Amino acid sequence: MGVLITPAMVGQVVISGLLAGSIYAMVALGLGLIFGVMRVLNVAHGPLMMLGAYTTFWLFQRFGLNPYLSILLSMPLLFLVGLGLQRFLVRRVVDAPELSSLLLTFGVSIALVNLAQLAFTSDLRSVEYLTGSFVVGPFALSKPRLAACAFAVAITVASFVFLRLTRLGKAIRAVSQSREVAQVCGIDVQRIHLLAFGLGSALAAAGGSLVAVMVAIQPEMGQVYTFKSFLVIVLGGAGNYPGALLGGLLLGLVEQLSSLFLTAQVNEAVAYVLLVLVLLIRPTGLLKGRV
Amino acid sequence: MAMTSLKRLGKGLAPVVLAGVMLASLPGAAGAQTPIKIGASMSVTGTYAKPGSYQKEGYDVCIDELNAKGGLLGRKVELVIYDDQSQPATAVKLYEKLITEDKVDAVMGPYSSAVSEAVANVTEKYKKVMVAPLAATTSIFKKGRKYIFMVITPAENYLDGLIDMAAKRGLKTVAIINEDTLFPKASAAGTAEAAKKHGMQVVLQEAYPKGNTDFSALLVKIKAANPDVIAAGTYFDDAIAITRQMKELNVNPKMFGLTVGGDLPEFYDLLKQNAEYVYGSTQWDESLPYPGQKEFLAAYKKKFKHEPSYHSAAGYAGCLLYADAVRKAGSLDADKVREQLLKMETRTAFGDYKVEPDGFQVAHKMVMLQWQDGKRVIVWPDDLSNGKPRYPTPEWGKR
Amino acid sequence: MRRWFPAALLLLAVGLALYPLEATGYGLRVGLQLFMWIALAQSWNLISGLTGYVSFGHVVFFGTGAYASSLLVVKAGLPWPAACLGGGLAGAVLALIIGWPCLRLKGPYFAIAMLGLNEVMRVIVSYYEGLTGGGNGLSLPTLDASRSIYYAMGLVAAAVTAVTYAIVTSRFGLRLMTIREDEVAAEAMGIDTLRYKLYAFTLSAIGPGIVGGLSARDQGYIEPISVFPLIMTITMIVMALFGGKGTIWGPVLGAVVLFVFQEAVWARFVYLHQLLFGAIIVAVVLMMPRGILGVLQQKYNLPRTI
Repeated sequence: MGVLITPAMVGQVVISGLLAGSIYAMVALGLGLIFGVMRVLNVAHGPLMMLGAYTTFWLFQRFGLNPYLSILLSMPLLFLVGLGLQRFLVRRVVDAPELSSLLLTFGVSIALVNLAQLAFTSDLRSVEYLTGSFVVGPFALSKPRLAACAFAVAITVASFVFLRLTRLGKAIRAVSQSREVAQVCGIDVQRIHLLAFGLGSALAAAGGSLVAVMVAIQPEMGQVYTFKSFLVIVLGGAGNYPGALLGGLLLGLVEQLSSLFLTAQVNEAVAYVLLVLVLLIRPTGLLKGRV
Repeated sequence: MAMTSLKRLGKGLAPVVLAGVMLASLPGAAGAQTPIKIGASMSVTGTYAKPGSYQKEGYDVCIDELNAKGGLLGRKVELVIYDDQSQPATAVKLYEKLITEDKVDAVMGPYSSAVSEAVANVTEKYKKVMVAPLAATTSIFKKGRKYIFMVITPAENYLDGLIDMAAKRGLKTVAIINEDTLFPKASAAGTAEAAKKHGMQVVLQEAYPKGNTDFSALLVKIKAANPDVIAAGTYFDDAIAITRQMKELNVNPKMFGLTVGGDLPEFYDLLKQNAEYVYGSTQWDESLPYPGQKEFLAAYKKKFKHEPSYHSAAGYAGCLLYADAVRKAGSLDADKVREQLLKMETRTAFGDYKVEPDGFQVAHKMVMLQWQDGKRVIVWPDDLSNGKPRYPTPEWGKR
Repeated sequence: MRRWFPAALLLLAVGLALYPLEATGYGLRVGLQLFMWIALAQSWNLISGLTGYVSFGHVVFFGTGAYASSLLVVKAGLPWPAACLGGGLAGAVLALIIGWPCLRLKGPYFAIAMLGLNEVMRVIVSYYEGLTGGGNGLSLPTLDASRSIYYAMGLVAAAVTAVTYAIVTSRFGLRLMTIREDEVAAEAMGIDTLRYKLYAFTLSAIGPGIVGGLSARDQGYIEPISVFPLIMTITMIVMALFGGKGTIWGPVLGAVVLFVFQEAVWARFVYLHQLLFGAIIVAVVLMMPRGILGVLQQKYNLPRTI
């Protein structure tokens, strides 16, 4: 009952993996920002993404707004939500041991999911906007996935430009490297923390908006992405921003290849086994991470 | 001092009034008997909240109907429902509570096979008859249990219709995929059996984890195997993703059928044109010529202001079947009721009912539907159908 | 404090032992679940409270124990008490195998690796369906043993607490706490931190392993998603934290209070259950990260052995 695997099949799957990986990378960058700047492991990252997806859904449903345009609204909205969470809750666990931030954000995450269940019900939603694919040779390039990848790449590139070239971006990187020294240099660390959490949430929201066209939207949809984002940042090196990119693409590839050569059932396990192996050889991730 | 005449009167009347009150409060004296309490835990919240709530509504309509017709054994019927949050462990605890603390007279089944399986251990322990209207997995009924009864068609038979239609048209190969949880696995296994019986070859059979959203690798493998039929044991969200990705990867079987998800109106709402030609299977549909359908639909829509699903119909029928057995047995005694349920052979608003000695359902039929022009058309079996299947499914590019 | 405490404890033990004689089936189940949570919270405390290494996937030992012992009952025909001990052994073995590489990792990496381990075990159990039934779940032969399981769970809860007491008052415990306070200094003082962490980790896996087996026996049916849930890890952590991690009676106190609260509350707030739990977690983390006993310890200068 085995199917002969041809190079064309592998190629198709590699394409799918990279397309999916680009979204993982963007969302994980958000998580990475939060961790890098504040050493907070944000378990609520998935629910933030879910809220982004719902925003896109409701804007599409009520106003017929193009889901890709709705990113312009979902990102700022969740940026504000992130600011609020940071200001009132997360701020208190910034210096605490990781248990506190894990638990706190977990509490926030189940509260958010429950609120979504109350507000939106658990009914599955989806945005039917773009379906089908472009055929290029033997490969089918899924239209929604291509579009999602394009936007994810654009947003990620913009984020890196921001981090590298703008003053605020440099300030963020400075705080990631050493908070004390950044403070001494006159950087308002509290403000940077707020900004980082807001940006991280916005990136998660963008991810949610992009996948709203592809998957079923329901309150618990974010959980899977939380796990994957954690995996990605640890794989790539916690606190290392380009590492998140590498990790995201790698995860996307690994998932698809293991589904092809083995079965889809084990691709979660394969990803985590890869993680443990990487950590054994390079305990701070593929690219050098910070703890 | 001599008592006033009023006081003397009062003293004389007191015992009379007291006796009267005591007589009136005796059970049965004023026709006010204790109601029959039927208990169940339902998935009010959690993963199965939607179908669970439909099932509960079915129970509600049944109880209303029983009470409107004079109750059961001359007593009113009351439903006691707890929320098991779609968790088997919680449901087990709640059924213990219902039976040992709330001391309910009878129990009805919860939602989902997994929860029913866990709860069956409790009901067997206390020898309480349980009609489990939404338990679809054969294994639950093959463990030597005596007090559990099945109402719906087993999971294994969900796609019998698809295979039957395919074989009749001379199709030879089938690919089977399923979510890796209890019910879809059972339906996949049953479908594979059915295919082999009809002389078809299963070219691929693979499971995917719950929550999987990217099916490219799986579909790429399927495309390479090029089956005539794709049968998928799904729930709802995976059904949507698979259908969309089939279009993206241009996978074109001659027939594509789903278990759960294909029958819901939301399937078309979410997929629109892309849902056309897809076959779904359902335990029940409003249009089927079953007795009591119209009354059920009217009562349900009036009470809940929306359409019932098959979960509602199954809950409703299951509860009525139990009540019927109690009536025939003339008592709530578990063994007597059990005897009746084993003997009964009937057709309700939900469909046919007949069980084997272990409570396993053998008469109820699944029907296959196909989406045609935005409507669900029943295409199989012939005696219940109201339209012909559009066959073969045209390629994605040619629609 | 010293004088009446053991007497009160003895009285409580007698009361709990006599409870099954007049409890309903429901009451028994609630009781054994309470003991289960005490055992779990206390076991988590053994590794994370004492060494500071946050095991964020501790329920993996519960699930592994559940499957190991159920398989021993179903396939090897062992009587359940022996099978449950087998479950504990399975937990310990897994801890050894995983602990040896992973306990070298630093804080957040260890937490995430443990989280991953939980998922991996769940997937492995689902994959080898020939053995475990996979997504179909595994059914145990019907047996009404609630009363015996109640006592068994109680014993495990008591045993884990006793072991914690023994450790906290020993040099072993002192070494663990040194690792918690400053691992580099501990190494510098000549403590083989990996070895001690491994001992603690292995010990902390036995309790959940046994309790997993007992719980599986009690339910009569297990499936992968129900024995490896993240929420169970979180719950045992919150219980230990609420009572006071690193203390002896903290996890017991936390388990009792939170469990009773959960049983009493969720019946009333069906739709808000998760929200309330989330709020409690946030409240505990922000307002009492040292837990009740932790706070009392500081305020009243209570001994370490509380």
